[in-house]
Amino acid sequence: MVTKVKSKIIKKNRLTELLDKLAKEYDLIGPVQDNVISFKQVKSGSEITLDFVNSVLSPKNAFFPQTETLFRFSGDGEGFKAEPEPETDKERVIFGIRACDARSLHLMDMVFGGQLEDSYYMRKRAKTILIGLACFNPAETCFCPTFGIDPTSPEGVDIVFTDVDDRYWVQALTEKGASLLDQLAEFFDEPLGDEAKLKDAKAAGLTKMKKLDVAGLPDKMEPLYNDAYWESIGMKCLGCGICTYLCPTCHCFDLVDEGRDEGGERFRSWDSCMFPDFTLMASGENPRPDQKARVQQRFFHKLKYFPDRYGEVACTGCGRCLKYCPVNINITKIIGDVMSGKTKNE
Amino acid sequence: MTISSEELQAKIKKLFEEGTIDHFIGYEAGSDSLHTTPCFLKNGEQVSRLVWNPLCPYNLSKYLLDFREGEGRTGILVKGCDARSVVELLKQNQITRDEVFIVGIPCTGQVDPDKLLEVTGASPAEITGIKDEGDAFSVTVKGKTQKIDKQKLLRDKCMVCRYPTPPLYDTLLGEAVDSLPWVTDDYALVKEQESLSSEEKAAHWNNEFSQCIRCYACRNICPVCICKECIFDKKMPRWVTKSTALPENMVYHLIRAFHVAGRCVDCGECERACPMNIPLRSLNKKVEKDVLDLFDYTSGVDVDQPAPLTTYQTSDLEEFL
Amino acid sequence: MSENIYLPRMATIKSMRPETIDVTTFQIALNGTNGESRFDYESGQFAEVSVLGVGEAPISITSSPTPPETLEFSIRRVGQLTNALHELNVGDKIGIRGPFGNSFPLKELEGQNMLIIGGGIGLAPMRSVILNLFDNRKKYGKIDIIYGARSPQDLVFKSEYEEWQNVENTGLYLTVDRGDEEWKGNVGLVPNFLKEINPSPENTTGITCGPPIMIKFVVQALAELGFTSEHVITTMERKMKCGVGKCGRCNIGGKYVCLDGPVFTLKQLEEMPSD
Repeated sequence: MVTKVKSKIIKKNRLTELLDKLAKEYDLIGPVQDNVISFKQVKSGSEITLDFVNSVLSPKNAFFPQTETLFRFSGDGEGFKAEPEPETDKERVIFGIRACDARSLHLMDMVFGGQLEDSYYMRKRAKTILIGLACFNPAETCFCPTFGIDPTSPEGVDIVFTDVDDRYWVQALTEKGASLLDQLAEFFDEPLGDEAKLKDAKAAGLTKMKKLDVAGLPDKMEPLYNDAYWESIGMKCLGCGICTYLCPTCHCFDLVDEGRDEGGERFRSWDSCMFPDFTLMASGENPRPDQKARVQQRFFHKLKYFPDRYGEVACTGCGRCLKYCPVNINITKIIGDVMSGKTKNE
Repeated sequence: MTISSEELQAKIKKLFEEGTIDHFIGYEAGSDSLHTTPCFLKNGEQVSRLVWNPLCPYNLSKYLLDFREGEGRTGILVKGCDARSVVELLKQNQITRDEVFIVGIPCTGQVDPDKLLEVTGASPAEITGIKDEGDAFSVTVKGKTQKIDKQKLLRDKCMVCRYPTPPLYDTLLGEAVDSLPWVTDDYALVKEQESLSSEEKAAHWNNEFSQCIRCYACRNICPVCICKECIFDKKMPRWVTKSTALPENMVYHLIRAFHVAGRCVDCGECERACPMNIPLRSLNKKVEKDVLDLFDYTSGVDVDQPAPLTTYQTSDLEEFL
Repeated sequence: MSENIYLPRMATIKSMRPETIDVTTFQIALNGTNGESRFDYESGQFAEVSVLGVGEAPISITSSPTPPETLEFSIRRVGQLTNALHELNVGDKIGIRGPFGNSFPLKELEGQNMLIIGGGIGLAPMRSVILNLFDNRKKYGKIDIIYGARSPQDLVFKSEYEEWQNVENTGLYLTVDRGDEEWKGNVGLVPNFLKEINPSPENTTGITCGPPIMIKFVVQALAELGFTSEHVITTMERKMKCGVGKCGRCNIGGKYVCLDGPVFTLKQLEEMPSD
């Protein structure tokens, strides 16, 4: 953390110009409206929209793409030799990442980093400048304060844009962010001095956000292994991949080879523990043969196994799983039931 | 008028008490005022959970596949569209007639929560009640109740619904409804598509399919997608991978549209489930129209009517099946 | 730039020895950049073996880590990848990533008697232990090997039994579920055979691997014979992809079989959910 936070403002009517400049110098990724809002690379600032509550897909795709070639191989008479996909040289900027998704990158860093680093993910992280956006208009499905997240103050980003009045208050949280602000100094002015107050006034309206009690949640999960509680959820669950694919912290993937005589590639793609063949072995054995077992795995992973291994619950309260589950399975209800011990009445 | 939740609860309790059913699949309150959720009851004591209102879109008939060859008879609450898929499951021998007790409920339209939020400008917490008043919905927002014209709030599929009353049932909760007054052109959605050139159609569908994230929600929620091992899950041989490259996505959607041909009842659940707002109904509706034109056949209406794609008649267009 | 954990190293098949109709032992030599033909490994570890263009699967290493040039895998033909491997020939190239996973604590077990119980293809990882123990014979007490398969045709490593039986203070007990006209040995399931042999738990550690159902009953039998859970070790199998604890697939409860396993003591398993 930089001790002296570099603080600027930019008039709202100059934002598109700024984004245009960023799109020229970097690969710019931001929220785009297609059928739904998701984070995509744009060629100009006008493609970016900020008029939404939260994107359907989080920006995890920018670091952990849904389909990603890991290496290609071709025959050279001596048999195949594998060539890793080259690193793209361009630096990237992600504009408009919210506090929930910024936290998820911190959680994903623990999975893909560590002793055995996933270079595909880590090099993208190293080459990306994150510009966060303060969120003042959460959905009723949002519950990020549960995990100590303040939606109005994203952490783990390089720069924060906060919408106040007719301008954005722009703060650099890291050296990387500060030097980007220097680079783009032409767009910024000195703060007027009342930005913090304006922000606090706006933030005051957020007190009614859902904040669940999760103290000791992993330990409360433990006795519920194989409990009948998961049966009714398993019965409802369709076994589709919506919760896992939309979740900003879900990281399961499949490794697949596509080959022809002259060569091919190995790529990875998102996979879901909800799919029936996720743990299916070639012998036909499946340690998670029914939806009850798979549903249980998902919630145990998020709320117990992950925090046991990495120290934090693998949820950022973005509410996407709850909002888009086609049968309305509700993680906040499940957390509430586990915390209050109300798991017996099904 | 449609029955209340309490009336429903009493009826289902009686069915349990009489031993007519051993389980019941219905709807209960969900995560907020705009959502219900499927529920599974094991006995009559649990009926107080049941609700019935215009926010019950789920086609519960798929869950019958989890109860077959089990113990006892399963009661299920079905709207017209849901009952049609029960008919299809019976036709395909996926369930037997005596395993299921069909509790039909006439439905005069389901509310699309997104339309409701847009029309009222309210947030879910501010909407505390929705009732079906026949030609309108009465919606209570921040304590004040207003009547909103149904056509402003209905799910798209309800706008073309020809079966407000279940075509098959063991008991009917409420007065049968003959037809819905706003239903005029069943295939407006399709005709729009048909008027495009090949290039325009290709561009349209390429754009839609490239947004697909292959979550398989459409397949998993579809009541007529019933294969024990789906072709798209097969490893040997492997027809598709989990890659979301456009060709893979196209193969998935187009094959699925053909696989459900002649069986899809336009319950609309696939489109409702899709998180990427892909207009799946227009795809399946086109196939439905083709089946109607080619075979003069409508799915999900008559259990005894032979299904065109699995029955051979000498008058068939092709010389062989 | 850190090493690419997903990139396989190329290796050449040096020999293929059929063990049964569907099991073949492959001897592999890495095409090492410094001339090395294998990586260092311990008994119990596995590698992700690829046929580029077909796929990759986790296979336990069956050779002992002692001989400096040897790297062997005994592979049963059961799915896409293993079928493709069986179609290859000596001299063909495959990809290898590894070694992954933890290993049997053979150093800590020095001075003990060793009881190795294998079933079917489960003898493959056990063979790494057995040969390793033989390479360090004086450091261990009595070694008893109990091994069974469905039928005499399914017994693996048959060509090595005589050698094993000739090692000092070592017993080899074979059984089959179903015999045939030529079979002169024991007929019966491994857990029952184990109980009949009635090995003493005194200063002994049991190591077992086989089909999940066999492991379950063997572990029960060992308990009945007086083995404590710290003295029973097994190796677990799960579908794997990355092999390095990132793809989220192979966990049993909070433990990744590829990272925290595949070797687990019974005591550890008792604390894990019964996935």
